[in-house]
Amino acid sequence: MQGEDASAEAALDAAARVLARARRPFIGGLGTDVAGMRATLVLARRLGAVVDHAGAAAKYRNLHVLQEAGWITTTFAEVKNRADLLVLIGDGWRHRFPRFVERLVAPSESLFADRLVRRIILLDAAAAGAAGALPGAAERLALAVPVPALPATLAMLNALLDERPVEPARLAGVAPEKLAQAIEWLRAARYGVVAWAAADLELAHAELALQALSRLVAALNRSGRFAALPLAGTDGDITANAVQTWQGGMPYPASYANGTIDFDPHRYGMPNVLGRGEADCLLWISSLARDRLPPATAVPTVVLGRADMALADEPAVFLPVATPGIDAPGHLLRSDKVVSLRLPQLRDGALLSVARAIEALLARLA
Amino acid sequence: MLVKLTAARVIDPAHDVNDVVRDLYARDGRIVAAPGASERVDREYDAAGMIAMAGAIDLHTHIGGGKVNLARALVPDLNRREILRATAVASACAGGPAPSTLAAGYRYAAMGYTACFEPAMLPSNARQAHMEMGDTPIVDRGAYALLGNDDFLLRSLAVGADQRAINDYVAWTLHAAQALGIKVVNAGGISAFKFNARTLDVDEPHPHYRVSPRRVIASLARAVHELGVPHPLHVHASNLGVPGNADSTLATIAAAEGFPIHLTHLQFHSYGTEGERKFSSAALRIAEAVNAAPNVSLDVGQVIFGQTVTASGDSPLQYRNARHASPRKSVIMDIECDAGCGVVPFRYRDRDFVNALQWAIGLELFLLVRDPWRIFLTTDHPNGGPFTSYPHLIKLLMRREFRNEKLAAIHPEAAAMSALKDIAREYSLYEIAIMTRAAPARILGLADRGHLGAGAAADIVVYAPHDDPEIMFAAPRYVFKDGELVAERGEVKQVTRGSVHTVKPEFDRGIERQLAGYFARYQTMSLESFGIGADELAELSLARELITHACRSR
Repeated sequence: MQGEDASAEAALDAAARVLARARRPFIGGLGTDVAGMRATLVLARRLGAVVDHAGAAAKYRNLHVLQEAGWITTTFAEVKNRADLLVLIGDGWRHRFPRFVERLVAPSESLFADRLVRRIILLDAAAAGAAGALPGAAERLALAVPVPALPATLAMLNALLDERPVEPARLAGVAPEKLAQAIEWLRAARYGVVAWAAADLELAHAELALQALSRLVAALNRSGRFAALPLAGTDGDITANAVQTWQGGMPYPASYANGTIDFDPHRYGMPNVLGRGEADCLLWISSLARDRLPPATAVPTVVLGRADMALADEPAVFLPVATPGIDAPGHLLRSDKVVSLRLPQLRDGALLSVARAIEALLARLA
Repeated sequence: MLVKLTAARVIDPAHDVNDVVRDLYARDGRIVAAPGASERVDREYDAAGMIAMAGAIDLHTHIGGGKVNLARALVPDLNRREILRATAVASACAGGPAPSTLAAGYRYAAMGYTACFEPAMLPSNARQAHMEMGDTPIVDRGAYALLGNDDFLLRSLAVGADQRAINDYVAWTLHAAQALGIKVVNAGGISAFKFNARTLDVDEPHPHYRVSPRRVIASLARAVHELGVPHPLHVHASNLGVPGNADSTLATIAAAEGFPIHLTHLQFHSYGTEGERKFSSAALRIAEAVNAAPNVSLDVGQVIFGQTVTASGDSPLQYRNARHASPRKSVIMDIECDAGCGVVPFRYRDRDFVNALQWAIGLELFLLVRDPWRIFLTTDHPNGGPFTSYPHLIKLLMRREFRNEKLAAIHPEAAAMSALKDIAREYSLYEIAIMTRAAPARILGLADRGHLGAGAAADIVVYAPHDDPEIMFAAPRYVFKDGELVAERGEVKQVTRGSVHTVKPEFDRGIERQLAGYFARYQTMSLESFGIGADELAELSLARELITHACRSR
């Protein structure tokens, strides 16, 4: 409490007092498992809080395009077994999802291997440089496109695919013959997949690039098959959003103020709510990643976080909690949104799970 | 705790009881015989003049699982139009065409429904389906596992695996996914779409496995029967929505080779190609076939005019439908060499010829299929319309005059082409009780649901009679779930948790060795991680009770 050691009971008492005093509490982070998110939503409704995930900015990029146009998507087993062309956008798939490379980019076996001659198109300046280091025997085509040029590159690919009159040479940094080859590979694919991590797309209007991607995938399905694979799941974002969406009937960020529910990324997104001074208390939940720290804020803060978290400022209360899959069992939804994984408990300890900690808070608020 | 409902007019078709005045008693969640005079009644409800039935059962409603959640994420703008505010017992949540799990539970219970079954649980998505159903309060639930587009089954049929091996795989799936039944959606067609075939007719070989939908239906219908699973194979037939699909529907009935088969949302599969627009009703042909085939049951999937969002496992169908999306957006998914799904928002309009005829075809089926024990009241929620329209639908079935008024308001050419105006039949309350309680319980194998005999779960609905059946069914006077009063006059009074229903047929565990190798090589998780055990189901589903129904292998 305020940087001083305290018993769990005392910390829970103090945390409950902070929450009970709040009139506009904000519950952020949401780095937890299904049980933790179920409990979080009970608390959010009890407090009339606004909820949002720490990685929400990346998710909105995809969600925006989903809600405007939609997607044709696929899942991991389809990629592993069926894809004969992978288009990998950005560089995050290598760094954020190392097992994606091992298990899906270069799988050792696949169901339809007899028909699989896999090709890979890399669409990123950094990834293009590392093309040779990729495992597997796939043919590679590297387009060294810097992230800010992605929207223009994808627009150009759409135009070439539609056979609209364009001048490929106007696209800086990519040789026209490489674009032509990319188009040839896209058209030849029996089952192509384009993957990206939205967190990579640090652009002023990332949704434009993603809209172009959605259009590209739609166009390639007119005569063949092609699908998108948004890579996510970081810090439980898919899990938290799924539980919020099924219980609330709409995604986060959601407000439970005044006995009702509302969804609006602009009104309820964490940076906006905290930045405008619309919250008078922050409950930060981060049981998965030690480096997901609460944002700097002047309002009283309660943190349910990993024990090894290095906080810059001492919050009013810090309660170390169990990490699902290490200190406690739990469930997380996988990146492709279909498969849920059951996590085992690997070590014993005295840490409360997020669900138990919140139940203890709710008992004190009753 | 002993509860008494005094002097109700009881309608209980499972016991041939039709409007007989008697007292009903419930103790500790179960219906009991009249207790001795010395026993103290803890709570008494005066039901004099009111009608009591068992809680209603919806055997086909998309309430939980990945595609439903995709629908919620896709249309927050539509869901926002129907916000349920928090009450003393209920939580704030969104209703709308893709309602939250909370709203679904509250609204079903308030309407007198006490059990709901999710018909399309992908084995690869079963955990999430159970979690979503777990967050659906009050009502009992269960789900049918999808097979028939999964690589393992198609591959097995392609190499001529014998029926015993198919039976073992089907049984293993029921265990692993914690399911109550098996459903097949567009047999082989969803898989074929991944190989870029846009349609697959009943006798057409799959482009890769060379297996026809007929083979898939025949082997699965037989497997479900031989394993002794009470609910027949639940079939979403080939060519949904395609003019002229009555032919493939009849071929699907034949494919079952006399084994029990449940044809779902049959309205969408009863189309002819007559008339200038090459779209007509084949309801009479289909109804005659069903009337003549005692192994066939069906639910209708009635279309209700208005905005909805369709969510189906039939990805090629939804891909074709995406051009009709309103608002214009859609999500199509290929899933895990196992299944697929598609979500398409849609508005059914009474002034649209096709939509109007779809509406009429559904009602024709209801009125032309004679046996209320084999036809069930559904809108294929949310695909034909929301489940909240059931009271309106019941009125359409019970009041010919009302039906004809509505018929006069639809697209005139559709009205002219429909036989509806000449059909005089009106459903009785007794028939409604059969098709919404007794019959679904019987066809699902729920021995202690859907009736009011001693030993049954005390899921009881008490209605104040009203000349207008829509008013009567929309807001029952009392709804009891497991003996607890959960709703009164259409308002939730107490939030409880329902039970989960599953089956666990016996099978040869040898199949697991083969599956373990298959999962290790080709799937993205191990066989061990794939299956859901009882402890895990209890945690995911938050169930009052896990109920396993008996299977007697045949």
